[in-house]
Amino acid sequence: MASEDDKERPVTIRADQITKLYGEFAALSKVTFEVRKGTVCAFLGPNGAGKSTTMRILTGFLSPTSGRAQLLGRDPAVAEQRRDLARKLGYLPESGPLYREMTPFEALSFFADVRSVQKPLAAIDRVVEQCSVGEVLHKPIYKLSKGFRQRVGMAQALLHDPEVLILDEPTSGLDPLQIRDVRGLIRELGRDKTLLLSTHILQEVDAVADEVVMVSEGRVVFTGTKEELKEGGTLEERFYALAGGKKKEEAA
Amino acid sequence: MLGLDFKVVSAIFRKDMRTYLGNPTGYVFITLFIMFTGGAAFLQEEFFSRNLADLATLNSVIPVILTFFVPAITMNAMADERRGGTDELLLTLPVRDHEVVLGKYLGVLGMFTLSLLITAIAQLSVLAFLGDPDSGLMFATFAGYWLMGALFIAISLVGSTLSQNPTVAFILGAVGCLLLVLAGTVPWASGGVGILLIALACALAWYTFSQETVGTLVAGLLGLAAGSLVWQSRNFGEDAEAAADGVEAAADLSSQFESLFSHLSVSEHFDSFGEGVIRLGDVLYFAGGAVALLYLCTFLLGRRLW
Repeated sequence: MASEDDKERPVTIRADQITKLYGEFAALSKVTFEVRKGTVCAFLGPNGAGKSTTMRILTGFLSPTSGRAQLLGRDPAVAEQRRDLARKLGYLPESGPLYREMTPFEALSFFADVRSVQKPLAAIDRVVEQCSVGEVLHKPIYKLSKGFRQRVGMAQALLHDPEVLILDEPTSGLDPLQIRDVRGLIRELGRDKTLLLSTHILQEVDAVADEVVMVSEGRVVFTGTKEELKEGGTLEERFYALAGGKKKEEAA
Repeated sequence: MLGLDFKVVSAIFRKDMRTYLGNPTGYVFITLFIMFTGGAAFLQEEFFSRNLADLATLNSVIPVILTFFVPAITMNAMADERRGGTDELLLTLPVRDHEVVLGKYLGVLGMFTLSLLITAIAQLSVLAFLGDPDSGLMFATFAGYWLMGALFIAISLVGSTLSQNPTVAFILGAVGCLLLVLAGTVPWASGGVGILLIALACALAWYTFSQETVGTLVAGLLGLAAGSLVWQSRNFGEDAEAAADGVEAAADLSSQFESLFSHLSVSEHFDSFGEGVIRLGDVLYFAGGAVALLYLCTFLLGRRLW
């Protein structure tokens, strides 16, 4: 259960009744949750649950059909507020898309330029060190392994030392050693930043998260600490039950 | 307020220029452009029979050449970002939509300008070798080519914003350019431009009023239908055995509709450049058209229709 201290911390990320419709199909239905400052929050859910859509709405890439998102007191659906928010937000989209023909150094220089980062070379040195991409810094991105591409994606998200980080499946496609490194980095970043990371990997939740928001079929089915999630069974059993596994099994 | 951060525009411009010049596509484009324009200018019998050191032979076919070349270099500008998923990164940076559109536009325009400069050097060298070209005429002619290219890039950028498939983006761009090229000579092209403009005006007017997507699409479709009815009014009434003067009036309306939009023809506004005259109205036609289409791109990007 969240301590009294935790509850006194300001809310950094707030999703208020967010609905996203694609025609008749509801990708998200009245999604509501909060993430407080300095928390690592896992946004858990099976594939197709609406995790990426929520992340895209929180970052201002998509607009909700109804409801409202707020990050650091700003509404990402309002153009000027989104721009202001983007200066304090680091985002790693799902599968870490990057400009394939560029080298990591060129890509990071471009992002530093657009973000008007002060002392860009020092910032690039810092994230290269943090994400361990020094050895591939001048190789074209299309020649890099998925693990390195993901790390370059993390590096661009950290370049401007953001207050809030939104990471969409940050360990997707990484080998066990790389996963361990990325989780270590997430824990380190979680000391002074607010992190929301989407995942469907239960070990990830156990390894890095303080809080958990679980979605299934576009609806929030659980919010609380990971200890609360584990009450009444293992993480796997709880995930299975909350994701509607039992219902489907019964129906079958 | 329309703020503009030149640092953002410049960063996107430089990134795209580097992409064009960092792979063979850019060089293939430049080479083919020089070959096609050179062939159109100097490999026609008319060039030698006229015995004048000018580019009149190229002027007659440049709209057609640009109709295919410009969409070819522009098709990936927006479509590639969406296909590769980098649009999600780019549009969540501290950028405004119109800064992205402007940076992308200037990237393609930079590439086109470079191609045109190399073409100008090559063609002027040939003309200077064969005769004594008029520098004022040459300046006006190349200014006309550049302005026409600037308008066609904006048209093609709309196509690239609408589709993540480069082939579809190319076709949309080429059809848009072709309509403007043919508008002065083929009545159906003038009519086509007319109904498209009416549909766009209706959609944008509705959007400005309501900021709502479905209504905007409906307004566009109604505009398209209304424009088509006016344009095709000559075909109504004949079957209904209307009075002879009624049929004539409808035919008149159709002709006036086509005639009105035939003034948007690229050739009509380019011809004076080819004669060495730079008219403010013609410059405004190309520049104003490009600005209006960039506004449309910004609108489409802002709606995140995907």
